[in-house]
Amino acid sequence: MKRIAAIGVIVGGLGVGGLVTLFLVLFVARAWWTTPFEVFGFGGAPEQPVAFPHTVHAGVDMLVDEDGNPKLDGNNEEMNGFGLECTFCHRNVGKGETAGIPPVEQCIFCHKVIGTDLPEVAKLVAAWDNKEAVVWERVHRLPDHVRFVHEAHIRFFTKTGNLLPSGEQAAMAGNVCSTCHGDVAGMAEVKQVRSLKMGDCVDCHRDYSAPTDCTTCHY
Amino acid sequence: MGITRRQFLRWSGVSAVGAVVFNGCRIPEEELQVESPVDMPEDLVTGTDNWYATICHQDPEACGIIVRVVEGRAKKIEGNPDYPINQGKHNARSEAGLQALYHPDRIQQPLFREGSSGEFSPISWADARRKITDSLGNLSDKSKFLLVTQPLRGHLALLASEFVQAYGGKHMAFETLEQVTLRQSVKDVFGQDRLPDFDIENSKYLISFGADFLSTWISPVKYSRGYGELRQGPGKRGVHVQVDSRFSMTAASADEWVPVKPSGEGVLAMSMIYVIIRDGLGDSDAVNVLTGGDGYKALEAFSPGNHDVVEATGVSEERIVELAHAFADQNNQPSLAIGGGSAGAHTSGLFNLRAIYSLNLLVNNVNRDGGVFFNPAPPIEKLASQDVMNMGVPASFRDWKDIDRPQVLMVRGVNPVYGLPADANFVTAVENADFVIAFSSFMDETSAKANLILPEHTYLEDWGDDVPDPGPRYQSMGLQQPVVRPFHAETGSFGDEMLLLGASLNIGLAGRLDLDGNDNPTFQDLLKKGAEKLWMENRGSVKAGTFDGFWNGVLQRGGWWDIEAKGDAIGGDPRPLDISWPNISIEGPTGEDTYNLIPFLSNSIADGNLAHLPWLQAAPDPVTTMVWRTWVEMNTKTAGEKGIREGDMLEVTSSNGTVIAPAYIHPAVPPWTVSMPVGQGHKVSGQFSERYAEGIGVNTLSILAPVVDGDTGALAWAATRVSIKKTGEHIDLSRFEGNVPAIELEPGKIIQIALPD
Repeated sequence: MKRIAAIGVIVGGLGVGGLVTLFLVLFVARAWWTTPFEVFGFGGAPEQPVAFPHTVHAGVDMLVDEDGNPKLDGNNEEMNGFGLECTFCHRNVGKGETAGIPPVEQCIFCHKVIGTDLPEVAKLVAAWDNKEAVVWERVHRLPDHVRFVHEAHIRFFTKTGNLLPSGEQAAMAGNVCSTCHGDVAGMAEVKQVRSLKMGDCVDCHRDYSAPTDCTTCHY
Repeated sequence: MGITRRQFLRWSGVSAVGAVVFNGCRIPEEELQVESPVDMPEDLVTGTDNWYATICHQDPEACGIIVRVVEGRAKKIEGNPDYPINQGKHNARSEAGLQALYHPDRIQQPLFREGSSGEFSPISWADARRKITDSLGNLSDKSKFLLVTQPLRGHLALLASEFVQAYGGKHMAFETLEQVTLRQSVKDVFGQDRLPDFDIENSKYLISFGADFLSTWISPVKYSRGYGELRQGPGKRGVHVQVDSRFSMTAASADEWVPVKPSGEGVLAMSMIYVIIRDGLGDSDAVNVLTGGDGYKALEAFSPGNHDVVEATGVSEERIVELAHAFADQNNQPSLAIGGGSAGAHTSGLFNLRAIYSLNLLVNNVNRDGGVFFNPAPPIEKLASQDVMNMGVPASFRDWKDIDRPQVLMVRGVNPVYGLPADANFVTAVENADFVIAFSSFMDETSAKANLILPEHTYLEDWGDDVPDPGPRYQSMGLQQPVVRPFHAETGSFGDEMLLLGASLNIGLAGRLDLDGNDNPTFQDLLKKGAEKLWMENRGSVKAGTFDGFWNGVLQRGGWWDIEAKGDAIGGDPRPLDISWPNISIEGPTGEDTYNLIPFLSNSIADGNLAHLPWLQAAPDPVTTMVWRTWVEMNTKTAGEKGIREGDMLEVTSSNGTVIAPAYIHPAVPPWTVSMPVGQGHKVSGQFSERYAEGIGVNTLSILAPVVDGDTGALAWAATRVSIKKTGEHIDLSRFEGNVPAIELEPGKIIQIALPD
């Protein structure tokens, strides 16, 4: 009763219109500075044309199904993630601006044989047979007026052995990517974890004494 | 509730604005998607550009270009800095090659129809090949096969030449506004089969007769680069005089423009020769050869004091003497005389050009810096044979007129139905042929008349090569490689198809080309065969231990050249001057309101083969700033007298037809001429269209009178007289000029343009 009374007081105080406005303001403010709340399809992982599980490919943990029970292979043994390096597929990341989506051909290298009975893999095989591109939904997207070059960041984090201001060793080769992308290997569906807004970029550049001139990114 | 008119407008306004605003706020859906390639070469880095060297085929000049390719798509074309012809420069026409590649109207699969009318329907390549093989295989009289192409050079010339010889047919090269007289005059004066290299760069006094060399004449990119050096390079600044019956882009850039009466160029040059010899300024050997030992007295008819000379040229005695003295002046050496374009397109075309090029002999500038350099034979022996060289020489108008009706006709890359005046008999030849095959990337007037259309790759998707003509005075070859994969799945290569056809006709073509060991030879194999010969000679710009290394080197640099392998030092003996008065005849109506029509190649769409590219349609003409149309250039004073204003539609009538185009008035049009650009007025009948070319302007070429140069049979395309009549209609012209008021940049620098007396 008390709770209902409290809601009544708030509604009474603000009015329904005021309440709606408050939520809107909160939602916009959160989306403005960080990532939006995960409601109405905002902020969450987009639905992909092929439900590609990073957990299976990049993860090393035991694989579980939707109910949390361990997945079993043909020999009724528990399965673990395959533990591929990120760069096994995203080959461009150390060479150019974009990390790159692997060509369908590369998927088929393994899926010619593996998992051909699975419906999601079948989609991929169909795309390969028809010579069609797979059109993925973009998860990370920076505005057009920003130039972000993966290659420079990867080189900085892997080769120079930089330390965080706190003295903690910077992410090493395998988990360099997770600095910005979070634990993708643990995501069945990839979603954005950092805000990747300009404040986020500048804070990190300051932490690592990287240049913060406007023209570093806006050129 | 009723809605008032006012409410309806308000709501519809609000919702329309809202739709626009909210759509503008949203990120377009495709930006939120990322496409995985289907397959990808391992060394390809996404987001990083690759530049591939190749050859541009938008112009006969065939510049070396480098193409920026990002993720398999061609994005930008620039000049190849290594290539000897253009040395890093390029023009708007080569830039627009991308639009040809991605053009929405490209023919995407083989098309066939029975008979010469009716609709085309798509067929497979296999069926198309079978039809060609059948038509050629069943032809009883093999000489009734005719192959029509653009002037061919390099290995494609070799292939076509061998094919025609092996099968037993004929080949004709087509060039709009052909330069047949130019080639003949170079042969007569210098004894050269190949066009020479004119060293504009180092010349100190350049006199050009009718050659619009900064815009469209023969090798404009090369000449423009040289012209920059002439005007702004180190050393004494050279002087450029343009003798021209039209105020062309080149005339506008010259130090002095001498407006000459049409076909008076030859008489003017002869008169200059007379003065140079009379005043003892000419090289004595040359004087003897040219006049047969008689000296200036032999040329008395061309004395500038002669009234006929002034009448024919429209240039005063004093001016002719001044020009002659300036040309031969010791302080102005090296001096150079070039001529072509409208100067050679008269009934006395060859006479004109021979007189003009003979001026060079008098100042003895052959093989001297700033003069005329002869070009060597192509570096590969097979390409240097006379048969192969002849593939690059356009057929004269007389040949087209007297064409032997072919039974099987194959047309590749040219549009003679559009480009020939009506009398050429070619249209009837096409219509009466049993089977017409057209290789073309686009539908045009000629392919629309075909039975079978085979879609060709653009030059950015295909293999090829080029032996530049005129060359850079040493041996050179450009290599054309596919910089992108074919954009459409079902386009093909002309070279590959000819080889396949040779194999299926069993005419021993592969054997003639030394491709015997190869089961399925392609045009690339033929190119490699030639390159192998160059590699074994181990000379020039690319040397390598292995052939693969050599091939890669040539691909990377866009070609091969050997600056040590120069042309002849001395030409053949020049023929003595033709000292009889030339037979100048201009055909068409005479009397009041008639003018000499001077057609000219458009600076952007050239002879109309590029009219389908909107970038070029929208590139303003350099003199008039006009875009997207045909116009008639008229003198301000004459137009004023006739009450013609800019934009008035004019009926231009010759003995061969009538076209209607708007007037463009400017003071630098000689009052006895009108000028019109060529290249517009395309019309493809049937179910296809050229969306950017159709319905724009008129075809100036269609009204040219069918008169020819007496000696060579070349079309005298500047020898048409037309009458002008106002239709009474008026339009606003689409042009840049006049939209921004002219301002004086530096005081006292206003250039007055005076009317010729």
